[in-house]
Amino acid sequence: MTAPALPLIEKPAMRVIDLKLWYGSSLALDSISLDLPERRITAFIGPSGCGKSTLLRCLNRMNDLVDGVRTEGSVLFGGRSIFDPEVDVNALRKRIGMVFQKSNPFPKTVYENVAYGPRIHGVRAKGELDGIVERGLRAAALWDEVKDRLHESALQLSGGQQQRLCIARALAVEPEVLLLDEPCSALDPVATAKIEELLLELREHYTIAIVTHNMQQAARVSDYTAFLYLGRLIEFGETRELFVKPREQQTQDYITGRFG
Amino acid sequence: MAAGTAPRRADASGAARLPDTARRRIATERLASVAIRAGGLAVILAITGIFAFLVVEILPVLLPARVALAHDAALAGVVPRALLLDEYRTHDAALGRDGVVRVVRLEDGAVRAEQALADDFVAVAGDAEHSVLAGVARDGRIAAAPVAFTASFEEQRRVVTPSIGAPIELALFDDAAAAPAVAGPLAVRAGGDAQAGAAALAGGGVALVQRRSERNAFTGETTESLERRVLATPAPVTALALDPKQEQLYAGTADGRLLRFDLRAGVAEPESVDAGGAAISALSLLIGGRTLVVGQADGALSSWFTVPQENGPARLTRTRDYPSYPGAVRAIAPSQRDRAFLVAADDGTLGFQYSTSGRTLWRGDSPLGPATALALAPKGDGGAIAAEGRLASLDVRASHPELSLGSLFGKVWYEGAPRPEYVWQSSSGDDAFEPKLSLVPLVVGTLKGTFYALLLAVPLGVLGAMYTSQFMHARLQRWVKPGVEIMAALPSVVLGFLAALWLAPRVERLFSAFLAMGVAIPVAAIAGGWLWSRLPKRWVARVPDGTEVLWIGVAIAAAMALCVSLSAPLERALFGGSFPAWLETSTGLPFDQRNAVVVGIAMGFAVIPIIFAISEDAFSNVPADLSAGSLALGANRWQTVVRVVLPTASPGIFSAIMVGFGRAVGETMIVLMATGNTPILDWSPFNGFRTLSANIAVEIPEAPHGGTLYRTLFLAALLLFAMTFAVNTAAELVRHRLRRRYGRL
Ligand SMILES: Nc1ncnc2c1ncn2[C@@H]1O[C@H](COP(=O)(O)OP(=O)(O)OP(=O)(O)O)[C@@H](O)[C@H]1O
Ligand SMILES: [Mg+2]
Repeated sequence: MTAPALPLIEKPAMRVIDLKLWYGSSLALDSISLDLPERRITAFIGPSGCGKSTLLRCLNRMNDLVDGVRTEGSVLFGGRSIFDPEVDVNALRKRIGMVFQKSNPFPKTVYENVAYGPRIHGVRAKGELDGIVERGLRAAALWDEVKDRLHESALQLSGGQQQRLCIARALAVEPEVLLLDEPCSALDPVATAKIEELLLELREHYTIAIVTHNMQQAARVSDYTAFLYLGRLIEFGETRELFVKPREQQTQDYITGRFG
Repeated sequence: MAAGTAPRRADASGAARLPDTARRRIATERLASVAIRAGGLAVILAITGIFAFLVVEILPVLLPARVALAHDAALAGVVPRALLLDEYRTHDAALGRDGVVRVVRLEDGAVRAEQALADDFVAVAGDAEHSVLAGVARDGRIAAAPVAFTASFEEQRRVVTPSIGAPIELALFDDAAAAPAVAGPLAVRAGGDAQAGAAALAGGGVALVQRRSERNAFTGETTESLERRVLATPAPVTALALDPKQEQLYAGTADGRLLRFDLRAGVAEPESVDAGGAAISALSLLIGGRTLVVGQADGALSSWFTVPQENGPARLTRTRDYPSYPGAVRAIAPSQRDRAFLVAADDGTLGFQYSTSGRTLWRGDSPLGPATALALAPKGDGGAIAAEGRLASLDVRASHPELSLGSLFGKVWYEGAPRPEYVWQSSSGDDAFEPKLSLVPLVVGTLKGTFYALLLAVPLGVLGAMYTSQFMHARLQRWVKPGVEIMAALPSVVLGFLAALWLAPRVERLFSAFLAMGVAIPVAAIAGGWLWSRLPKRWVARVPDGTEVLWIGVAIAAAMALCVSLSAPLERALFGGSFPAWLETSTGLPFDQRNAVVVGIAMGFAVIPIIFAISEDAFSNVPADLSAGSLALGANRWQTVVRVVLPTASPGIFSAIMVGFGRAVGETMIVLMATGNTPILDWSPFNGFRTLSANIAVEIPEAPHGGTLYRTLFLAALLLFAMTFAVNTAAELVRHRLRRRYGRL
């Protein structure tokens, strides 16, 4: 198998080419090929267990942490396969940030959470860190809410604020790609709206991939959508097109909720 | 109204008709809550119970001493100046200058026995050890009457019958007619085969007579020797004391000097020490004959004994001062059991003192006013006191007078020691032994053992847990964790046994190897890791992550083998062939085979599994999404572990260390077997030591129930309890703080 499923006009930031993934002996991803266009939001949708998170985790090699994972195929980033043994995983993850489904702020202060990444990558100067923290929090639309409690525990923030803090933390290392795994699944509509608004702003600078169960959300924020089912990519295309006139019956069934 | 009640009724009937499963659930929940509460309460009760038990066993130590009048009898016209008391405190034997020994039954004042020794004595004295009362006449003739008390049982009652034996005669001078006038005071020791008497002369100096009979074991012949001396003194003598071996004669002078005549030396020149101004008014030797209690005319009271000097002969040294008495010290009566003594002063004050602990056990008014003579009963549980025309017996009680905060935790100047020190030596074969009950060497020993054990166990346990939970391959993990748990299951007897009989000789023989291992193992581990990281990535990728430890293990094993094989040349090169000998000669530190290094290793081995298991849990309980969050930011594994996992796990690691500390502090078997149990106070890793716990185990079987040692051991137990309790409480507080800081809410 070769070539992406759909010839895209836009320049891809990452290309997934014929990716297969096994957890032990069970195949979780079956020959996935798709592109993540630069400075666009790509949504992954599909029923539970279809492999959305697995695919997302492949993109910054977080699957390495799972025992017994085996991959075939490649994911190109900057013209190079990220599975190459010579690739520095940590440098890769710095360039491809990730926000998890369940917010996971460190048990440190708000400030320390955001400053964590830059510190890891060698930023020491207090002034510089202050600037990065403020920019990160502003970019995550959290600054106004937390600027007076920067040095309080991040665990005291609300769920929505914690999730935005995690986004700020990911942005603070200035990644090129941002991967979000159901970032709003635990949030109320107001917090969700805030994050969606934020995503649209972030699109100016970042290539974004987002996993979501919420069809409206996918329709609202994404430029491209990939529909996965049982580990396979059923359909991938521009969001409007995919939602309005899907090419596949399965896609049609899923987005209209007639899925069985 | 109907609308309001209807639902309520429905509720009530609904509750009554709860489904079976729900009812069962409620019952289980109630049962569980009762069981849990009962369990918790039982634990608290058990701990409080242990605490209460320890306190109850120790409490008698705090009972105040008591000296109270028991019986009081008149003895018209007599001024008793020497007293004896029988074991059952029923009779007083008294001697005054009138030369008549009278034994008075205290119950009713009846004189039960009476014997005239002379017409007139210039001075009298008693020898409680041999139950003798003696006096000296002006012409130097000494007469000593042995007083015996025989107890018999008649109709279930004990009857004590006193009798006065044939007087022992001793003359200070050959020719009584030509003798210089004797003035007194008098000191007498009248044992069966050695008798001595000393009395001050009116014209200055002291006259001394010693008689010894020696029985030849082969021929059965007895040879008698008699020696008379006149010892010159620089000032008039006001008090005299002879030691029980009749080798030392102590004299106090009117100008406040103490003289010590060494009677063995044959030299008349005494050692003279200034006791400070006031005339010496009373002298007495405590049990064992080494401590001299000195009373002075200004009320000062002090203890003295001979102290070895670094250069030159031992010197009589003032080692303890007691609070002064308001009047001149008139009489001192030592106990024949321990280092307690009664003191009477001229103003009518009576005191009960203890030498080792320096305690004033009791002080009050004498029931008879100013005393002329004083005695303590043979068992130390009663006393006798005399004044003009009167006699009285006293009930004397002191519980564990040798214990005081100072004697338990401070430096004490023990008899014969060159300086005050901390010593634990609870018993010896000798009755006159001075028990040394300082808990300090034991506390230090406990902390020392704990320190060396934790020195090994904390880094290994915590870092091992960190590696196992954070870096090690899951398949290896499955082997390592149960392996370490088996280590925990090893009985400490086995560990102690191995440490004492297998490890200790090897540490001694291969000391250089062990020393080198301290350097070689970390170096090998780091070098192995570095080499590993230098290997081409393509090779490394073939080996599952987290199994590199096997390779490093090989490197460490190789380093250890190398150290052992190089031990002999190393030892020759560094320590001239033998480390123990080198240590002894170059630093003066002794090397014990059973030392703190061995115990550190053995006890470390016992503590590692505990610290490992608890910290491993703490590390593993850090939510995986936290480390995932850190890794996703581009942090490497090490940064993630150090900056995120470790702080989050820190409360758990902290408790792991504290539980390990508790285990090491209380560990008994290993230290008992592998330390040599020498209660010495020093931090050298090459010495043995004795811990509180081992001390209790060693001594409690020998400690008489209710005795001082018994109570002291309970005090040691309480101390151990308090130590672990304090550390655990402090640890819990710290842990809570850490928890609040790093915990997830
Ligand atoms: N660590 C793992 N080990 C083994 N199997 C896994 C692991 N993680 C996921 N899987 C399996 O891989 C498949 C895809 O899982 P994945 O988490 O990617 O689904 P998902 O699409 O994200 O589902 P959801 O919408 O519920 O989050 C599932 O069948 C799941 O059981
Ligand atoms: Mg998922």
